[in-house]
Amino acid sequence: MIETRELTKRYGRVHAVEDVTFTAVPGRVTGFLGLNGSGKTTTMRILLGLSRATSGQALINGRRYRDLDRPQRQVGAVLEQGLTHPGQSGRAHLITQALLAGVHRRRADELLEYVGLAGVDGKRTADYSLGMRQRLAVATALLGDPPVLVLDEPGNGLDPSGMAWLRELLRGHARSGGTVLVSSHLLAELEQLVDDVVIIAQGRVRLAAPLAELAGGDQSRLRVRGRDPHQLWQAYQQAGAQVSADGEVLYVAGLTAEDAGDIALHVRVPIYELVAETPNLEEVFLSLASGR
Amino acid sequence: MIAVLRSELYRALTVRSSWVSMVGALALGFLFSWFDAEFWSLFAGLGAFGVAVVLTGQHYQHHTTVLLYLGQPHRLRALAAQCLAAVLIATPLAAASGLNLFSLNEGGQYAATLSVVPLIAVFGVAATTVVRKPVWLVGGCVGWLLFVEGMIWRLEGSLPFSSFLRAATGDVQQLVVFGWWTAGALAVAVWAVRRDLTGD
Repeated sequence: MIETRELTKRYGRVHAVEDVTFTAVPGRVTGFLGLNGSGKTTTMRILLGLSRATSGQALINGRRYRDLDRPQRQVGAVLEQGLTHPGQSGRAHLITQALLAGVHRRRADELLEYVGLAGVDGKRTADYSLGMRQRLAVATALLGDPPVLVLDEPGNGLDPSGMAWLRELLRGHARSGGTVLVSSHLLAELEQLVDDVVIIAQGRVRLAAPLAELAGGDQSRLRVRGRDPHQLWQAYQQAGAQVSADGEVLYVAGLTAEDAGDIALHVRVPIYELVAETPNLEEVFLSLASGR
Repeated sequence: MIAVLRSELYRALTVRSSWVSMVGALALGFLFSWFDAEFWSLFAGLGAFGVAVVLTGQHYQHHTTVLLYLGQPHRLRALAAQCLAAVLIATPLAAASGLNLFSLNEGGQYAATLSVVPLIAVFGVAATTVVRKPVWLVGGCVGWLLFVEGMIWRLEGSLPFSSFLRAATGDVQQLVVFGWWTAGALAVAVWAVRRDLTGD
């Protein structure tokens, strides 16, 4: 499990992150969303012991990263755009990391096969495409077969088949009981991948909730078009709904589609259109991330 | 720490630029060993320093320090392993480059130089850990050696490279002085290694 408690990082007067609190639990994929400069990379770096928090805690399985025993067997991380020495081959890079992690070098060969780089493992990583470097980074993260994965923009540079591969890999990891924390700006992709969402803006967590709750939560509304909008408006308001209008179209919050249809029938106003509108992740993200 | 050491040694042997720096150090030392024993000492020392800077600086240059610290989050252990790796690579290189000194009956200078080469390798790792930018460090050191220690002090003072050179001739007092320089650099590195790693 990943847990941050009132995590704060200041650089002089600049508050990079402020009181960031959230959890990412085993068996679920948690999406960490924020605009550039919102504080998500800083949070991840503190979590991984690369930066020190001004105050608060960032814990993995209840311990700080530096206190973990053989950390690469407990946490796999993908940071930046595939960190490698450009003069080293993919295979040599992975063996270097395997030695560091205390893992047998045979595991490096298995992972090169797994991520689809077995045929190019002798090439210098400088000659790799961005997508290939990302695959190598994922292989590096998986070296110790860790239960916790922390990935910062892992989809960058991956083509659609690569994205599908990554999605399946991360979903499979969560299905087998692993914890996955993944940041991305590819919201449509993330929407297909994550179970829980943490949205951070200007260094503060704006929302931490299951994706399903976001889709079916308070922010969903009905789009209603009928013969007499005025009468419908009054009927819905009397039923306790919040109603707004855009020309002939009413937007109704606080009622189910069934209730809205029954009320319209009751007041004998024909309905031409009744659609449940659910805000997608992108809309929710943009409204929260911009501080609106 | 052993895992970091093995990883660092493997990396050094599989990165082309590391090979270039090692071959360069070997060739320069070997070349100057034909001219003069003190020249050899100078280039054996600079070669060891350069190899240490390249091995350590590559991590900062290509941000692989992130991977290093993910594997070994106790940074002092990582620093210790880096120092040891630099010593294990630089010392045999210096030894190999100076074998010709025996034909010149300069065995004493050879032994004295090899006793101080591990120190300058550690000095190089420590300096790189503090500065983090190997190009700046090498440029700064070349300027310092030429203008400050060379032109102003004429390699007579107890400054780092001057004390290294005199220690390499068998001057025990300067060996101690250079030991203090290395210890000082290490002390600053112990503080500096704790700094945040930024994405820059």
